[in-house]
Amino acid sequence: MNGEFYNYLPLWATLLPVLATIPLFFIERRSPMFRDFFAIAVSGLTFLTVAIMYPYIAAHGTIGVSYPQVFPPFGISFQVDLLGYLLALIASAVWFLATLYSRVYMQHEGGGNRFYPFLLLSLGGCIGVFTASDFFSLFVFFELMSLSAYVLVVHEETEAAMAAGYKYLILTLIGGLALFFGIVIAYELAGNVDIRPGHFLFTEHTRLAFVAFLSFLVGFGMKMGIFPMHVWLPDAHPVAPSPASALLSGIMLKTGAYGLLRVVFNIYGADFIQEAGWHIILLVLATITIFLGSAVAIAQPDIKRRLAYSSIGQMGYILLGIGLLTVTGLQGGIFHIFSHAVMKSTLFFAAGAIIYKTGKRRVAEMKGIGYQLPVTLACFSIASFAMIGIPPLNGFISKLLLSMGSLDAGMPFFVVLLIVSSLMNGIYYLPIVINAYFGAKPDEEKMGGWRRLFTELKPSMLIPICLLALACLIFGLFPGNFPLKWAEIIATMLIGGG
Amino acid sequence: MTHLPIIVVALYLATAFALPLLGRVKKLHTGYFSLCIATAGLVMSLLTLFYVAREGTFSYFPGDWPPPVGIELSVDWVTVLMHLTINLIGLLVLFYCIEDLSSEVRPGHETWYYTLFFLLMASLNALAMAFDMFTVFVFTEICTLAACALVAIKPKALCVEAAFKYLILSTLGSGMLLLGTSLVYMVTGHLNMGLIGQLLPQAIDLYPLNILIALGLFIIGLGIKSALFPLHTWLPDAHSSAPTPSSALLSGLVVKLFIIVVGRIIFQVFGSELFLMIPIPEVILLFATFGIFAGSLMAIAQTDIKRMLAYSSVAQVCYIYMGMALVSQTGIQGGLLHVFNHAVMKSLLFLAAGAFIYKTGIRKIEDLVGIGYRMPLTMAAFSVGALSMVGIPGFSGFISKLTLAFGALEAESPFFVVVIIISSLLNAVYYLPIVLRGFFGRPATEFQWDKLPLLIIAPVLALAVINIFFGIFPGSLQELARLAAETWLP
Repeated sequence: MNGEFYNYLPLWATLLPVLATIPLFFIERRSPMFRDFFAIAVSGLTFLTVAIMYPYIAAHGTIGVSYPQVFPPFGISFQVDLLGYLLALIASAVWFLATLYSRVYMQHEGGGNRFYPFLLLSLGGCIGVFTASDFFSLFVFFELMSLSAYVLVVHEETEAAMAAGYKYLILTLIGGLALFFGIVIAYELAGNVDIRPGHFLFTEHTRLAFVAFLSFLVGFGMKMGIFPMHVWLPDAHPVAPSPASALLSGIMLKTGAYGLLRVVFNIYGADFIQEAGWHIILLVLATITIFLGSAVAIAQPDIKRRLAYSSIGQMGYILLGIGLLTVTGLQGGIFHIFSHAVMKSTLFFAAGAIIYKTGKRRVAEMKGIGYQLPVTLACFSIASFAMIGIPPLNGFISKLLLSMGSLDAGMPFFVVLLIVSSLMNGIYYLPIVINAYFGAKPDEEKMGGWRRLFTELKPSMLIPICLLALACLIFGLFPGNFPLKWAEIIATMLIGGG
Repeated sequence: MTHLPIIVVALYLATAFALPLLGRVKKLHTGYFSLCIATAGLVMSLLTLFYVAREGTFSYFPGDWPPPVGIELSVDWVTVLMHLTINLIGLLVLFYCIEDLSSEVRPGHETWYYTLFFLLMASLNALAMAFDMFTVFVFTEICTLAACALVAIKPKALCVEAAFKYLILSTLGSGMLLLGTSLVYMVTGHLNMGLIGQLLPQAIDLYPLNILIALGLFIIGLGIKSALFPLHTWLPDAHSSAPTPSSALLSGLVVKLFIIVVGRIIFQVFGSELFLMIPIPEVILLFATFGIFAGSLMAIAQTDIKRMLAYSSVAQVCYIYMGMALVSQTGIQGGLLHVFNHAVMKSLLFLAAGAFIYKTGIRKIEDLVGIGYRMPLTMAAFSVGALSMVGIPGFSGFISKLTLAFGALEAESPFFVVVIIISSLLNAVYYLPIVLRGFFGRPATEFQWDKLPLLIIAPVLALAVINIFFGIFPGSLQELARLAAETWLP
């Protein structure tokens, strides 16, 4: 497989941010400004590296290289197919925007010398997860990403942050060890842990296969934040600095979803899971997760905590898409991975902008904030509407596909579940929006007229928010867009045997 | 070339006895002289490795007297692996000694320390290749006495007490070893391991009790010396109170060699068939499992950093025992890998902890807050060791745990994979807080470099680099451990 230069692109996309931490370490001692630009340039380059893979993937199906001499007996290997590519693309794009956003935001947080190297390290880990071609490589990068993210979580080093970070660390380790268990079993039974289409590691219903399934579920579910492994999430996400929360909620949770997709459709296969009835476990967990996430979010007074609980509910949708085992449902799930990444990063960026500008974290305090930060709040509103699933936005499309998938699977109950949870999303998102615009009388002074409209924030903060909000709109308005089409291709491929 | 292994032992012994005399020479720095000798030892064991890789394993008969009369030294893959481990770790610890000793022992006692060091190294090298019960006994005694003296050399009541405890229990172990040897000799008329092994299958029908008791004595006697739970009680005192280089040597090397002797007795004398007939593996597995949990749990409760590391050794030693007692080739491979990896990790951790004590005098874990800002390189190296202990991929500890897990599955007992996983988590519970306290949780104090003497920081960093290297490219080491495991369980 080695040879052509494009095969090395996944390797470079992973290694570039990891290796860039070394020059960054020396740069940051000289000049903070150069440090920021360097970090932005590296994450931008990573995005470009991922982006230029597309023509080769379209031409060859998969690209990648393998290095069996590292970590024998598994070896480290990279292979990108359409699913991995879609996620790597969105991950690197959001990461780039987050790095851009951090430039101003982190000035008021401080400690950038520690923040940026770990931001890049976790980017490398995350891209590695999406481009790995076997479960062991995936596991290695998964751990790299999770452990680097610890530093992002505890960045503020308050007591709450340390406590949340410790919880995060221990649960991440438990998840990692569960994955390790699953991988060891898979390797012992099947002789390899490759992710290849039509290559199932388990073909018999043995107890060990079930144990492995549960360990994978715990390992990836822990990262994904599904019930009952979600306990770290509502603590860890809000205490992190906002760009990091956006990445944690928007992207890093998706590595768990991605892993679970690979487990269900590449290790076991849809037919196997269906026969064994294990998708029921997924569906039950999805139901509880959706309800729990949405219901608890309603009770949260802190905006970032509310967003974090909302993430739990949204990950339930994705789990539902996986568990339905129908093409439409899976397409909805995969598209939701994409659209949730866009929506949740918008929301966290906007929430971060509010905190940055006003220092307010409680939803009740945010009356009339729409006049102070009109563009930010407009973007926040678009993303909230998308979350609720209001038609021309991308959240609607994923919910529609998920509902159709539930009907295909003959489980109309889940349509009701989706509707109820949309209602609950409305209950906790709309008050923020309503409060922001109608909670107080328009304050002309604060508003400062149209001229000041786009000067409410520094452009490097405002542009990422606007771009992402625009993405919510575009990927909803044009149903022929590429993630949706790709999601369909991927879903057909996965259901049809990986 | 075939003489090299014995030359190492002879050279070390000669150096040990020559050092007190050389110490009288004013212009000679005994520390640097020792370094030269230890480097020569490492080079020789590397040469032995290349020789064995090319020409195959061999047996060495000092004075060309063949077994029933003479002594046999077996230079097989286990020996090669152990020699490499001993001489590499020994050399790095010796580097550390040169600066550190002045703060640990009475002035003027440094030369005595080097004498003891070389006595210990000679006995360890000899134990690794002894294929003769009496040779094993002789070098066990030398090793025990040297190790006790290395603890007692620090002028503190605590050390003398710990050394005394160590001495009493260790001597008990030596006595059991001697008794077991004589029981076996009574039955078979031989002291050579190979010859005993040939005669045992017949002898066990005639004198089953003798042999059973001998096996029991060997395992308990050597179990005391290698701190197999619940015979570990001397270890935490001795390892935590000893001077730092001694702690690194004792935890990193000394206990391992006795496990190697147990392995030789079990696999090469008694043979794995016999071993499977008597439920000894189950008993060892039981002890090992309890030891892994008990060691980790007690480590969690410690407040002194060196004491915590010592308890962690209790748990880690049990991993090696577990690998052997799984009686699967991959399990033994994992155990032997862990011998090397743990030697690197634990000496790294002890030396790093020693560097904290050397620079700041802090021994309490809770006082190590913010140490990552004052001694970043040392703390980074300590973190490497800690993450390796927890079993994070990319560090060598992960590789041995992985191999052990495969071994457990090969032996069809996935339960032990769960044991490994839970204990990894327990390791995380006591290692990670130190790392976290070192780097986080308090507004950054003024960042500064370590400002440690080069001879202290260099071995610490070298061990960290070795750890990461064998964590990412473990291929050659795994191959070596596999060959060694094949010697024991073809």
